[in-house]
Amino acid sequence: MTRFVLRRVGQGLFSILGASVIIFIITRLSGDPVVLMLPPEAPDALVAQMRERLGLDLPIWQQYLMFLRDALTGDFGTSYRWEMPVRELILERLPATVYLACAALIFSLMLSIPFGVLSAVRRGSWFDRFAKGVAMLGQAMPNFWVGLLLIIVFAIGLEWLPAYGADTPKHVILPAIALGWYPVAAQTRIVRSAMLDVLDSDFIRMGRSVGVPEGLLIWKYAFRNAAVPLVTMMGVYFASMLGGAFVVEVVFAWPGLGRTVVEALFARDFPVVQAGVLFAAIMFVVANLLVDLSYGLIDPRIRHDR
Amino acid sequence: MSRIRKGAGAVVLSCALFGGLAAPLSAEVTGQLTVALAAESTTMDPAKYSAGVDQYFIGTMFETLVKPMPDGTLANWLAESWSVDETNPDKPIIDVHIRPGVTFHNGDPLTSADYEFAYQRQSDPSVSRWSHFQANVERFEIVDDLHFRLHFKKPDSSYVSNYLQLWAMPKKYFEEVGDEGFGKHPVGTGPWKFVSRKVKEELKLEAYDGYWNQDHRPAVKELTVKIIPEDLTRVAALQTGEVDWIDNVPPAMLADVKALDGVSTATMPAGNHLFLDMDTIPEGPLQKTKVRQAIAHGIDMDAIIESVLFGQGERYAEVAKGATGYVPELKPFDYDPAKAMKLLAEAGYPKGFDINCYNLITPREPNMKEMGEAMFAYLGTIGVRCKVVNLEYGAWINLGRRDEKTDQLNGGLLSWMWGQGVPADPAIAWGGHLHSYQPGHGWGSYSHVDDPEFDRMIEDVNATMNPEARAEKLQAIARRKHELVLGGLTTYQPLVTMAWHDDKVSYNPWPYPGFWRNFQEIGLKGSD
Repeated sequence: MTRFVLRRVGQGLFSILGASVIIFIITRLSGDPVVLMLPPEAPDALVAQMRERLGLDLPIWQQYLMFLRDALTGDFGTSYRWEMPVRELILERLPATVYLACAALIFSLMLSIPFGVLSAVRRGSWFDRFAKGVAMLGQAMPNFWVGLLLIIVFAIGLEWLPAYGADTPKHVILPAIALGWYPVAAQTRIVRSAMLDVLDSDFIRMGRSVGVPEGLLIWKYAFRNAAVPLVTMMGVYFASMLGGAFVVEVVFAWPGLGRTVVEALFARDFPVVQAGVLFAAIMFVVANLLVDLSYGLIDPRIRHDR
Repeated sequence: MSRIRKGAGAVVLSCALFGGLAAPLSAEVTGQLTVALAAESTTMDPAKYSAGVDQYFIGTMFETLVKPMPDGTLANWLAESWSVDETNPDKPIIDVHIRPGVTFHNGDPLTSADYEFAYQRQSDPSVSRWSHFQANVERFEIVDDLHFRLHFKKPDSSYVSNYLQLWAMPKKYFEEVGDEGFGKHPVGTGPWKFVSRKVKEELKLEAYDGYWNQDHRPAVKELTVKIIPEDLTRVAALQTGEVDWIDNVPPAMLADVKALDGVSTATMPAGNHLFLDMDTIPEGPLQKTKVRQAIAHGIDMDAIIESVLFGQGERYAEVAKGATGYVPELKPFDYDPAKAMKLLAEAGYPKGFDINCYNLITPREPNMKEMGEAMFAYLGTIGVRCKVVNLEYGAWINLGRRDEKTDQLNGGLLSWMWGQGVPADPAIAWGGHLHSYQPGHGWGSYSHVDDPEFDRMIEDVNATMNPEARAEKLQAIARRKHELVLGGLTTYQPLVTMAWHDDKVSYNPWPYPGFWRNFQEIGLKGSD
């Protein structure tokens, strides 16, 4: 087990390093940030002076090594646009994005698990078709559109929930639905298909024949066996929610990391983009590592030390 | 010797004229309002000001020496009086008397030493992105606590047109808290004092009890500025009552917002001036005046503004109404496709020509991408066949900027804009896009024009500090520019609409539309 964890951590670090190199090169190919920072009429000398001050006149490999050296000490530089430490900017925003992604994941599981399990149990029934319809609807609609519809219905129309912001737990409901609805279809299909396989297994038939209550059989024994592919999927979707929350963050004025990084991208705010992508890569790697480790807990037959 | 004196009378007159617009201050203001903006400042330190958006927050807490009034004139604000001493016309002096009794939010009095400190910070390129605007100041002289002089190496009219440049910044407080501390908790002389800020969420302000201008100040104690970038969400927040006031009502929703019960709106021109730039440097059709005139007559701007912007644009001819250099008799070009085709034929292009047309697709002004597409489509109907090249913001800026090696626009058309304050004085902008490119001198950094006569006229106006003489010279440039359609075809200024609950909010976009987000006069209805 220890060897497995060490190997996966090593692979993760390699991925993070790779991501940092790629984003470093891509940002510098995207254009000159200095002309966006200075007024249009700024003299060339001032432009050159600013480039030198930011270290943009150095060879790219030298800039990267300096970035890496500072990043290893937790210093991600100063935002060109906000003129504040990037670490502060990122760490202030990160909890909001993680919170939103967690809430969205919980919402998606609250729908997809019952939908998937009950659809498998009642295959071909009206509920099976209904669940499929609701799940597909989330996948068919882009999340900014879902967000706007939710605002129109629940904030303006019914006045049940706030239209924007992140002040109270109520504020997370609409953004979480907008972000979490999309993966419901795929997660439902995974659960349904895995449940159908498990429900056909000998141990389920055995359980029924010895009189194990149906609810216990389905939710404790069958679902636990069907959960492994869902957990894999969850890891991927959670990571993509962390990175893809930008649109929902804008629609609901949610003060998250995605919005900050995308705005930084447009402003060629290299330090923020680099740090944002690096943090996203770290979260992606950690989420996948946790998923790998959780297999053993869900299914004791999976042992990483074998 | 030419001596221009701007007396304290101007602000008194302004107060008398416009004093009735807003709710007067009660003995003690109370209550709370929440407003929502589409964008926010990146900094709260005036010396680090980098773009118009920074004015949103900075202007609530900090003030300049002079300020534009509702009628467009500059009134003395923190300057009790000021004058330009041109005894030596090559080395003019700006002489400023500070208004007595002005205090910073921490209680410190405003003195000449604070302005010297502001000058030092604003002229330091490691602090300010506009340090080149201080480049012509030779030295700062403190005469006494309320009197200072700026000695110039050479005449510089931008100092006058940019509200005398200097922000009131508290030297003593800054030295106590340092650069970072000042950025996190700014202290100015403005009507609002800083309470707290969460980046990308909100700014909390409190009316400053010791504010010097008791006639024009907020009539509510607390103001929360929320940041809601999405248009529909901002409008929804107004509808649900979560916020009391919003800016930038999207053009497509304007009719719906105006129809809401209990909601008032105000519409006014934004600071940006859009134009269709034409690269006249390389050999090609745009070098010919008749081709440029044909383009000017080939676009039905009124129709485009009506259909694409839902009427939320105002045409202008070279200089907007109310700004220095405005020429009343200059009118925007009329749409006349027959005349446009005739001009093209006379210029030697009876069958038209193909051309690269560069368009910005990143949201910058409402529907700007669609506006560009519509203009280019109109040009196709007269034979100017656009190959449209869409650009995101960074690529767009890079394309416009000249460098020593290349003229990247390569004879094409470019949807572009300029903004230099409100009301906008065009001298600096013309120095950038009408004066020819001169590496190292700061002229023509975005220029696709090479016309020695314009170079002479622009350099002359930028060295003229006398406001009346400047206005005449700017008008002369505007007339010539319009006749030759050089430095771009001026198209429109976007209109901005703000909306508020009129049963709760008492609001005037005072003192001038461009400063409406500074909330100089906003209050609770009934508190007056």
